[in-house]
Amino acid sequence: MSNIIHGDIEYTESPQEQTGFLHRVCDITGFKVDLSSEKLIRANAVAAVVSLLLAVTAAILLVFTRYQPIHLLSAEWYYRLVTFHGLNALIFWIIFFEIAGLYFGSTVILNTRFCAPRLGWISFGLMVLGLIISNYIILIGQADVMLTSYTPLKAHPLYYLGIILFAVGALLGVVLFFGNLMIARRENTYGDSLPLFTYGLMTAAIIAVITLASGALIYIPTFLWSLGLIDNIDPAMYKLIWWGLGHSSQQINVAAMVSIWYMVSFLSVGGTSINEKVSRTAFVLYILFICLASAHHLLTDPGVSSAWKVWNTSYAMYLAVLASMIHAFAVPSSYESAQRRWGYNKGLFEWLSKAPWSNPAFSSTILAIIGFGFIGGTTGVIFGMEQTNIIVHNTIAIPGHFKGTVVIGTTLTFMGITYYLIPLIFRRKIIGMGWARWQPWLFFIGLALLSISMIVLGQLGVPRRHWDSTFSGGPFTYNFNPAVDFFWTLMMLGGSIAFISVIIWIVIVVVSVLWGPKMTGPKDMQLTISPLAPPAKSHKGFEAPGTLVLTFVFLLVFLALFFLNWKWLAATWYVK
Amino acid sequence: MSLLSPAEGWYYKKVSKDEKMWMIIALILCIMLFVWMVMWHVYGKQNPSSTTYKTSTVEFAELTEAFIKKNMVGVDNGIPVVRPNPNSDVFVMGEMWRWSPVLIMEVNQSYKLHISSKDVVHGLSIQPVNMNFQVYPSYDYLLEFKPTEPGEYKVICNEFCGIGHAGMIGKIVVIEKDEDLKKYGYENFKKAPVPIIAEEGREYSEAEKVIMGEQIYTLKGCGACHKTDGTSPIGPTWKGLYGKEEKVKVDGKPATVLVDEEYIRESILEPSKKITVGFEKTIMPKMPMKDDEIEYITAFIKSLNK
Repeated sequence: MSNIIHGDIEYTESPQEQTGFLHRVCDITGFKVDLSSEKLIRANAVAAVVSLLLAVTAAILLVFTRYQPIHLLSAEWYYRLVTFHGLNALIFWIIFFEIAGLYFGSTVILNTRFCAPRLGWISFGLMVLGLIISNYIILIGQADVMLTSYTPLKAHPLYYLGIILFAVGALLGVVLFFGNLMIARRENTYGDSLPLFTYGLMTAAIIAVITLASGALIYIPTFLWSLGLIDNIDPAMYKLIWWGLGHSSQQINVAAMVSIWYMVSFLSVGGTSINEKVSRTAFVLYILFICLASAHHLLTDPGVSSAWKVWNTSYAMYLAVLASMIHAFAVPSSYESAQRRWGYNKGLFEWLSKAPWSNPAFSSTILAIIGFGFIGGTTGVIFGMEQTNIIVHNTIAIPGHFKGTVVIGTTLTFMGITYYLIPLIFRRKIIGMGWARWQPWLFFIGLALLSISMIVLGQLGVPRRHWDSTFSGGPFTYNFNPAVDFFWTLMMLGGSIAFISVIIWIVIVVVSVLWGPKMTGPKDMQLTISPLAPPAKSHKGFEAPGTLVLTFVFLLVFLALFFLNWKWLAATWYVK
Repeated sequence: MSLLSPAEGWYYKKVSKDEKMWMIIALILCIMLFVWMVMWHVYGKQNPSSTTYKTSTVEFAELTEAFIKKNMVGVDNGIPVVRPNPNSDVFVMGEMWRWSPVLIMEVNQSYKLHISSKDVVHGLSIQPVNMNFQVYPSYDYLLEFKPTEPGEYKVICNEFCGIGHAGMIGKIVVIEKDEDLKKYGYENFKKAPVPIIAEEGREYSEAEKVIMGEQIYTLKGCGACHKTDGTSPIGPTWKGLYGKEEKVKVDGKPATVLVDEEYIRESILEPSKKITVGFEKTIMPKMPMKDDEIEYITAFIKSLNK
């Protein structure tokens, strides 16, 4: 494999200790790249792409099943593939990619070595084993329980075991991340404070520990229950703890995604947070105020009181939402401020119109920010309030919401940053740059159509995870508002466009990594790596007026959706 | 500089005017969201209740059955229809795969709905008004509903509950006055038929057993899967079943059985022992029933051959 590696390979002795490591100095960025870490990053990234392929293959079949004129799959296979899609998309794809990101942020960016490469491979092995076991059990029809597997629905014990193995592997990866941080700190490889990117990843890693602990707390007893060693798993308790895993893990994604947004700002325009203290505080808010995210899933459930629900979704002031709103200003303003310093200072939006739109990592990031904020964020806050949850709970609006957050947001961000990983970590030129420039737009348009139509369908009462909206075999039938036909078509169209876009992305990645010309130096770099933007001249007034205007637009959209939803709620029956 | 250590003095850098402004607005908005939820409890009319009772699936099934017996006014597609009094306690049970009973409610009147499940988790979703609540086994959720518009409503299940999930649909009819019942084909549903009073020690005639069997069929919800019209969407139809040679699987091996009293008894008490070919995916849940109930059900099945 040594022929893959270019640049100078060095073996350095660190000054403090006799702990040398085999690395190359990147000829493009100047970072020291530990070769054992690089291999682990590659392995996890490859597993992530494979998982994504599995997930979207299931997804397109699901779209054409719910689209009633085609109604592709049988009931059995529909529910089976909903389970399969959820697990591969939300767990395997995202977490493999995040582990790759954690290794990247804790070694390459910090110029340090990987603390225990062998354990890194054990972690990877456990995760792959978990993926294979769980997917196999699902596909042979022994785990038709949905990703949530609410008890007393019961799957084959190996299904739970697969997830446990995967989680143990992931937890080990997170521990290794902290190990790398410790080494970097001790060997003083990065200066006084962690770079913002790694700092954000660190908050993601801390949340991951909390999350995986909840996961262990619920999956281990459930596994024992499926073996017959425990009599009963209380369904309400199960749901409470399961969402401690299910929802908090989304906060890992948010923290990792926002970290990448800051990184892309740096790589594409040489930008940085206009106030690092603010950005870092916002990251800390994620850790402190996400602990009972599962409350968002219990808003229309028996068992917990309204006081409990209202308090635990908000802690009186929604500080996790506040954190995202702070980033909503801090991230775009980092681009705006840098662009203005490069001289794109005309008017409110020249910084945006003259931005490097031909850089697919940049366009992915901007589109991810828009989708995450306007589609995922607004609906997330509104659906997550106690009373408005009544009109959306378990409707297809809920997956519509998280298509906005975790697919347009996280997945598009991850796909975008991969355009940097191919040359920098896989050391290959990208084949199909022309396609790459279009791919993020296609993905954004497809998913925006998909998720907005799902949200509208949900508001019209269409349930999620439901095979047949004609209710065949039931004692009665129900016809939804005729408008649903239009939105089903839109959803099918959006899903198809998004599917094509993901396939384009996967082809670009696979072809480039396998057959792309090898990188020989900075001249082969197809994506810009911007130098730092020049320092700001002292200025009074606003540092990012364009961003401020955009955030106000966001605020107006949010308020409009907010009042619309409460108006719809007020039109329903009285209930108390 | 997100990939490098921040510039010196970053901790003490002043926050710019616009960022500060945005953060204050965002914080106010976040606090407002909290206050809004609290105020809706004071002034709003739609608030999920805080009242839950711990129960068991067996106990709740008995409560529902007793409630239906008392208030039943008819049957709609195999599901009992009840017309409870306003302000009274109403029991609604979800099970694989039906909601029972069908409710007749009066507009602008309150009903205390006790909602629970007999088996797995279900989702109670009233359409088109689009109100959605979670339903657990062994938790009795008390929600006091006051319908504000007359009309026919459907209760669909929106929490995955097994292979028959998509066919799980119930009904609520909201009327303004008795005449409205006509619109729904319920004009004869004004009061309950006189049930046969169980008397200790009396021998029932075959005809009486058939009537009681049909009541059990309705109450226990057999009709959700077993139709009497010859169709078999989820389970084998009961029409012409008795005395038929049925292809079954015993431990996965094919066999043929004669549908007789003994086979019916076994199928009720241990449904997964012999599985009818063609219905392997929709295995019947265990139905704890008393001997006399099984006898009446058998009489009812026999009667469907005529």
